[in-house]
Amino acid sequence: MNSPHQISLDDWEIRYHRLKAGGLNEPWYGGPLSRHAGRGDKRLLSLRFDNSPPALRLWNFLLTEEERLHQARAAGGKIVGAMKDLGTAAVMAFSLPNVTAFYPDGAWWVPCIMEQGTGDLEVADALGIDESFCPVRAMLGAFVRGAHFPRPDLLVCSVGATCDDFSAIAQRLSSLGYPILWWEAPHRRRAEAGEAAVDLPGGLAAPAAQVRFVRRQLELVRAGLEELTDRKLDDALLAEGIAQANQFRRLLGELRRLAYTRVPCPLGALEMLVAEMLAIHFCSDRAEAIVVIGQLLDEVRRRSALGLGVLDECAVPVFWVNPVADLKVMNILEECGGRLCGSEFLFSHALDEIPADIEPLEALARTALADPMVGPASDRAERICRECRRFGAKAVVISRIPGASHCATESDIIADMVRNRLDLPTVEIEVPPICDADAPGIRTRLEALIESARQRT
Amino acid sequence: MICAGIDAGSRAIKVVLLDGNTGQVLSRCSADQLYQPGRQAQELFEQALAAGGLTRRDVRRVVATGYARAAVQADTTVTEITCHAIGVRHTLPAARTVVEIGGQDSKLLRLDPDGRVRDFAMNDRCAAGTGRFLEMVAARLGVPVGELGRMAQGNRCPAAISSMCAVFAETEIIGLLASGRPQAEIIAGVQAAVAARVAAMAGGRVTRPVAFTGGVAQVDGMAGALEQALGQAVIIPDNPQYTGALGAALAALRQIAP
Repeated sequence: MNSPHQISLDDWEIRYHRLKAGGLNEPWYGGPLSRHAGRGDKRLLSLRFDNSPPALRLWNFLLTEEERLHQARAAGGKIVGAMKDLGTAAVMAFSLPNVTAFYPDGAWWVPCIMEQGTGDLEVADALGIDESFCPVRAMLGAFVRGAHFPRPDLLVCSVGATCDDFSAIAQRLSSLGYPILWWEAPHRRRAEAGEAAVDLPGGLAAPAAQVRFVRRQLELVRAGLEELTDRKLDDALLAEGIAQANQFRRLLGELRRLAYTRVPCPLGALEMLVAEMLAIHFCSDRAEAIVVIGQLLDEVRRRSALGLGVLDECAVPVFWVNPVADLKVMNILEECGGRLCGSEFLFSHALDEIPADIEPLEALARTALADPMVGPASDRAERICRECRRFGAKAVVISRIPGASHCATESDIIADMVRNRLDLPTVEIEVPPICDADAPGIRTRLEALIESARQRT
Repeated sequence: MICAGIDAGSRAIKVVLLDGNTGQVLSRCSADQLYQPGRQAQELFEQALAAGGLTRRDVRRVVATGYARAAVQADTTVTEITCHAIGVRHTLPAARTVVEIGGQDSKLLRLDPDGRVRDFAMNDRCAAGTGRFLEMVAARLGVPVGELGRMAQGNRCPAAISSMCAVFAETEIIGLLASGRPQAEIIAGVQAAVAARVAAMAGGRVTRPVAFTGGVAQVDGMAGALEQALGQAVIIPDNPQYTGALGAALAALRQIAP
């Protein structure tokens, strides 16, 4: 039971009580995972989880965010909803004391976790944001119903070179009386001849003029945060906020390196997906996120040193593009004989360290411009190819999000580059918030991909 | 050494018994899938054995494939993607592209020179690119699916079916019939629409030769519609609806003697 493996929620119930009897030490949000299912997170009943205490802590951290936000409100803190940019505004907000940032867009997982029985999607439907939009439309229902998170004191949202559907959803939210501080992210382009260029994180570059523009936009965000808190967000605070964010990113980077390369695979795809998602907004508690990810890394290091893992040694390394609306699919990948060996979940700029040797706002502007969603799909494809090489991928899954506007055209661009440069088998799947009805087709595609990869080796 | 392949597809179940020493098909049979695909596949397997004068003990290995493969009693399962590639490699060794249109899905496979799958695309979300669309039209016209090709012969101008959805396309067809459009032109239009949906999966990248497999390959006129949509000639192997089951039997053989 103590050796690494994946277990059901029922198994965790038994294991939890044994661990507690053995002296398991937990933070305030600890407890058996089954309680979340009892409160409505029914999808957990279908998942298989890593059986380690650090994984338990990761899941409990994820599934208690709502309580954390309400606690912050009750303690008199300010709550900032950082929408769309996935990793810059949240870093700024957390730089101020007594401010908690969260990611309202994250409500897109709620229909999955709660097996759709929330009413959030129905509210979005009634507001004209129907299923032709990305499942992130659940956010609209969450706001209107006052469910899942308290009403933020400030909403910050990037627009411009972002998803069309998300812009439409955010504008609908604004029209309903939720004031939003908009800031604009331009479409990242390459510098023209004679135009000054600036290096960005992730091996990218952009014209200096674009970086200056984004910096001016982030000045607006800074001013909004200062107005909210009646406190100056000076460079020293920002630098410390960046240092903390980078500490998290370094830990996550090492976790990815080990989890994606070690044989046998020391940590499953599901926990890696959740761990990476923390990079966007630290699950509303930056300091605790660092502890959670640090403990997970310690466990993975321990397993790697002992040659232990959760999957068969012959599991085929698969690189995954785009996050899934239904967490179950990450289990399905492993049931089909694959293992996660890299990911590009649309927020790679939140994984790369923010430059610490330049002025903080300049560093954040460069990071914001490195957002994979504000640049050409070919830039994403380049990074995916690099990471496939780095992690030794033998196949690539491009997971489409139903209704997501960025998925409409980029899949072919990514798949073509992967095939042409790496000659890896690639498959495209579409994952709705609950994939049970589509599971046979998804399984067939994933199994066929893994069969193809095995034939080549 | 006899191997068996069972293709439990979404529309029909097919069984092939193969002599592994000679590569000859000893027996094949199929039936529409009704319910309980596992049980039905077992009954069909028994039929194939009886037709070949064989018993279960004569069969060294059974591989199941197709949508309901997990429900079939077999030694192992292999996806229909891989099985169609193996089946085509056996019947049309030079093929580099496989188009398979079944009852409720369609696939496009690109093969390497050794017949292994390079990549594939699959449509199982939209009936407009599958045999189900043809069945719907046949039902609307009150004729068997097998008659569609004959009825479409000699059409002068295929009707344009613009809807991306088979349900709405049916509404278009009703309108075309009401307006007096000849049945031949409507059928040809539907065949062109099915072919266009399948060709879209290719994204303009088709390597010759192209094999056309699956039950829909038997429908007269579909090969021509597909050639028009792909801009390439297509070759239909013998018994195209059994390609997946044949591939499964060959996969079983490979598992015994790689």
